[in-house]
Amino acid sequence: MTDLSLASDAILAERSADGDSLAFSVLVRRHGPYLRAFATRLTGSSADADDVVQEALIVAWAQLENLDNPSKVRSWLTSIVSRKATDRIRARKPSSELDDSRAELAERGPEQRAIAASQLDALNAVLAALPEGQRQCWVLKEVGGYSYEEIAERLDTTVAVVRGRLARARATVVTEMELWR
Amino acid sequence: MTTDTTNDDDIGGSGYTLEQLSDYLDSGRTPAIEAIDDNAECQAVLASLERYGSLSRELVSRDATDNPALDEGWLSGLFASITREVKAGRDIPLTSSDPLTRLTITEGAIRGLIRSAGDSVNGVLVGRCSITGDDDVTVAVSISVLLGTPVHLAAEAVRQAVYTALLKHTELTVSSVDVTVDDVHVIANGGDRS
Repeated sequence: MTDLSLASDAILAERSADGDSLAFSVLVRRHGPYLRAFATRLTGSSADADDVVQEALIVAWAQLENLDNPSKVRSWLTSIVSRKATDRIRARKPSSELDDSRAELAERGPEQRAIAASQLDALNAVLAALPEGQRQCWVLKEVGGYSYEEIAERLDTTVAVVRGRLARARATVVTEMELWR
Repeated sequence: MTTDTTNDDDIGGSGYTLEQLSDYLDSGRTPAIEAIDDNAECQAVLASLERYGSLSRELVSRDATDNPALDEGWLSGLFASITREVKAGRDIPLTSSDPLTRLTITEGAIRGLIRSAGDSVNGVLVGRCSITGDDDVTVAVSISVLLGTPVHLAAEAVRQAVYTALLKHTELTVSSVDVTVDDVHVIANGGDRS
């Protein structure tokens, strides 16, 4: 029996494009945790992240033939996840329960930052306390690596708004992280 | 954040604000701006921004490492949707002794056969395969071979195995089986996670 769990991303993506669902399931298990973590950071909700990643993977399965460079399958999957995640963000009602839980996070932010054991934990607290729009821009820019134009399009806003949010997010991160040190 | 005076936003007397430093960073620091490059405080801010960017990526990777298990219910939901959408491809006609019966085999099924025949060769993993033609089919298979496996022998063994499998399980007339080796793998290769 061929052990596909040792196969490279490129081989698995090629086989998946040809309809090998077993190969696709290996890709899902290999990259699913990362995709879910990325979507959770972006949407601020693990329930939304689960839905978003599932939708994205179903789309990916149907479109794998169009993937030009199979070895880049993870970043390709990440871009589909970010599209699905931003669709969901745009579709959200302006006020939801999520906002309350986030306001709570924002209040706890400085406290958590103060007791953070590591720089990563401190950054985690600072990012959690950012206003939603700023956090989304930060994640899309710093983790997703998207341009201002792409982020503006995804969040249905202007480049000027994205630039402003990102600058404010960066100002907060730099200042707060200085305090932690 | 104060935005009323320029002095408050100015970093290290460079005349540039954090927003402008942000832009500078995102443009790959080109074209070079001397007032920023020669200013120690600006350089420190740029270095921090880069550091927190890379720490953010690390944070997502850490989230993934801390939660490696995917929910089984979630996975089965996903795989149920995926298997509903079978990539059957086109139907390829098979010869039939009964003129009233039209027999076909899907491209997807033939690909499955080709993959398992190719994979059965030691040290070989099949990547893509394509089937062109109806009566006389040409099969193209790309494979990855285990490091240290003689490439020519492996390719020839795959060609034979695929040919034999198609003869045995289908009635296709196979005019050629072309094997391309486009990758080499090592046994501990867990995939390209870069």
